[in-house]
Amino acid sequence: MGRIAGPLDDVAGDAGHIGHPPRMGFFTDTSVCIGCKACEVACKEWNAIPEDGLTFTGMSYDNTQGLGADTWRHVAFIEQRKPLGLQDPGVEHGSYDAYDGVDVLGMASEAAARGGDGDRGELRWLMASDVCKHCTHAACLDVCPTGSLFRTEYGTVVVQEDICNGCGYCVPACPYGVIDQREDDGRVWKCTMCYDRISDGREPACAKACPTDSIQYGPLDELRERAAARVEQLHDAGVDDARLYGDDPGDGVGGDGAFFLLLDEPEAYGLPPDPVVTTRDLPSMWRHAGVAALTLLGGMAAAYAAGRRR
Amino acid sequence: MRAYVVSLLKAWWGDAATEDNDFRFDYLPRLTGSHSTYETALAQIDGACKGYFLMGENPAVGSANAKVQRLGMANLEWLVVRDFSLIESATWWKDGPEIETGEMRTEDVGTEVFFFPAAAHTEKSGSFTNTNRTLQWHHAAVEPDGDARSDLWFMYHLGRIIRERLAGSTDERDRPVLDLTWDYPVEGPLDEPSAEAVLAEINGYGPDGAHLSTYDQLKDDGSTSCGCWIYCGVHADGVNQAARRKPGSEQDWIAAEWAWSWPSNRRVLYNRASADPDGEPWSERKALVWWDGERGRWTGHDVPDFKADKAPSYTPPHGARGPDAIAGNDPFILQADGKGWLFAPAGLVDGPMPTHYEPQDSPFDNPLYGHSRNPARQVFSREHNRFHPSGSDPGADVYPYVVTTYRLTEHFTAGGMSRWSPYLAELQPEFFCEVSPELAAERDLEHGGWATIVTARNAVEARVMVTDRMAPLRVQGRTLHQIGLPYHWGPNGYTTGDAANELSAIALDPNVHIQEVKALTADIRPGRRPRGPGLPGLVRAYRRRAGIDQDTGLEV
Repeated sequence: MGRIAGPLDDVAGDAGHIGHPPRMGFFTDTSVCIGCKACEVACKEWNAIPEDGLTFTGMSYDNTQGLGADTWRHVAFIEQRKPLGLQDPGVEHGSYDAYDGVDVLGMASEAAARGGDGDRGELRWLMASDVCKHCTHAACLDVCPTGSLFRTEYGTVVVQEDICNGCGYCVPACPYGVIDQREDDGRVWKCTMCYDRISDGREPACAKACPTDSIQYGPLDELRERAAARVEQLHDAGVDDARLYGDDPGDGVGGDGAFFLLLDEPEAYGLPPDPVVTTRDLPSMWRHAGVAALTLLGGMAAAYAAGRRR
Repeated sequence: MRAYVVSLLKAWWGDAATEDNDFRFDYLPRLTGSHSTYETALAQIDGACKGYFLMGENPAVGSANAKVQRLGMANLEWLVVRDFSLIESATWWKDGPEIETGEMRTEDVGTEVFFFPAAAHTEKSGSFTNTNRTLQWHHAAVEPDGDARSDLWFMYHLGRIIRERLAGSTDERDRPVLDLTWDYPVEGPLDEPSAEAVLAEINGYGPDGAHLSTYDQLKDDGSTSCGCWIYCGVHADGVNQAARRKPGSEQDWIAAEWAWSWPSNRRVLYNRASADPDGEPWSERKALVWWDGERGRWTGHDVPDFKADKAPSYTPPHGARGPDAIAGNDPFILQADGKGWLFAPAGLVDGPMPTHYEPQDSPFDNPLYGHSRNPARQVFSREHNRFHPSGSDPGADVYPYVVTTYRLTEHFTAGGMSRWSPYLAELQPEFFCEVSPELAAERDLEHGGWATIVTARNAVEARVMVTDRMAPLRVQGRTLHQIGLPYHWGPNGYTTGDAANELSAIALDPNVHIQEVKALTADIRPGRRPRGPGLPGLVRAYRRRAGIDQDTGLEV
């Protein structure tokens, strides 16, 4: 049995793989995501995932809403009244009259009215493709009673659909709310990082389809180096709020196999700020339960003894 | 020019085209007027156009003033629709918007409608050509399902059957069809014509029957044939050059051996401009072609788009004409003077200098001129194609907002390829309108609710998306609100909705006859649109209130 919390260098080795390839992962750089959703479609096409609802959500251009049994890549669209680096969003027209330039030529009759709504001056439209994090310490895998969920030689976490019995223990165990039961069959489904494709030396379907390389696939060590350099580059370009999410092996899940470059707090993207592997506290829970049981027994004994004295 | 035309006539009519009969130039069909798409629709309403082929086109939702398109089709004798699914242009006669409103009854429609399911690109061989002029070949991966067939199959067998019916005819007017070279080999279980045989015919043959390799070889004496001179060379050496797929890692960054570009496999037009007046690359990193003084020729990574031996120092002699009048440092060889142009001095109906006119329907007067609209524009005032009062004209405030139409990433044009695809439909599942928070407040529009948008042409309903991305504009001292409408929807398919083109008018630019769908005026109100006869009633009420008649908006 492998470790269930804390930093872990060799996740596949810890799971018993000998002579395994390097740990592979996703680095999703949301700063270059253009919101085309090609990743969502490529994922569904490759993995034959059913369409799961024609719902107009009103959440900007995001009608997918979140990851689930039938959505393994999800592109979030977030509209904010905030600046994006040094870009001019071009949405503040309150103090600018389109005919001012004509006015200068003395052709327009009316002078521009000045003044506008100050908080309308900034706009940024964040797009981010979410996916299963393939945690270093994956609670879904820890709680799976059938061994359907397993750690691959690439360090990824995969459900074996022919073994899953639909117990659903893994669903509340996931700190990100990723893994999910399919309504009409009860089994759980999630991103496999295209285990079939990567076993054949190909990149996952979403990364292959991504036209801007927002989704990058490769050895996790390399991706972490590349990501750190990208954050530095963005900071130098004035995008001060660029930060990595899920890259830290010291975090509550031991670092993610799929990590992100975000332009705001994780909560803005619907991501938990401080995810913790839900099985981390199991040993101490058992200890507490033991103490509680002993206390209860002691109390009962004391009560019994006291009753006898009366 | 004559070499190109003669070679084209030889490709079409082969042995029947000879020097003695002027290579059958008289076989070419004559234009009887403008056959632009909008004038064709109006000619259908007028009864002048009686038959219509729609091949991968869905005007019932995709063309400006969709109602006029449907009314045109309803006045045809026959209509052929070839598409992947039963698009709106194939079913308007039984379930279109006019059937719902009672403006049209199926039993009154005399049009005979034929629907032919079309094969997808994976089910047929052929080429993709993007705006970069590169022809990329694709090979059929599977046979098409059911009755679906390729466009090539349809055209070839239609021609074959027509020719069989006409066989033996002595009528002169049948000669152009009977004399056509229509002898393409067919292959496979469906008798699919060989797309590569068609490509080879387009490429052309020399007197010895050899495949031509460049349009310089074309002759005006009937000894060469070529279906399209700019494609000459795409089948050089009998090899399908468009099917080349040499990996980028095995060639330089120009990738000249990936597919084939017209003309002459040239990847960048006017690439002489990548070199300075003396013929040296402006930038080594971005060099395309340069002058090789020793050999006295242009050379480089790309195929030079310049007369190969014209030195940079060449100065045209006085009185030079044609290509000889273009100097060695004038890269833009298809312009009369070889120079880059900031404006077109001749050829534009409304040129030569760029200027500003207001759109056909505009909330503002033109601040530049006394008249607002382009005097050379094309407008057609019809019962179902009325225009709005503009600017300071009375009634303009009945349609106080500006609509602009656009596309979404998830859908493709009129939706025939995307609205039937579940994976795309679920990503943009409903027609919506985008409005600013300010307009939403002004008109009581609820985010996620419904709104009805009205013009003099029609009214549509859409889900409301309130977003900061739509910003009120400040124009001539007042605030102007915009309404954004993606135009992909229609009543058929996996995701359905009203078509934005119900709102647009047929008002065309004078040069290339493009419809004005990027800026038009409209009103917006909360809630869904009326059903049945109430819908045209609402549109009529707006027209009355704005005082619209057949002359509105026709003034310059």
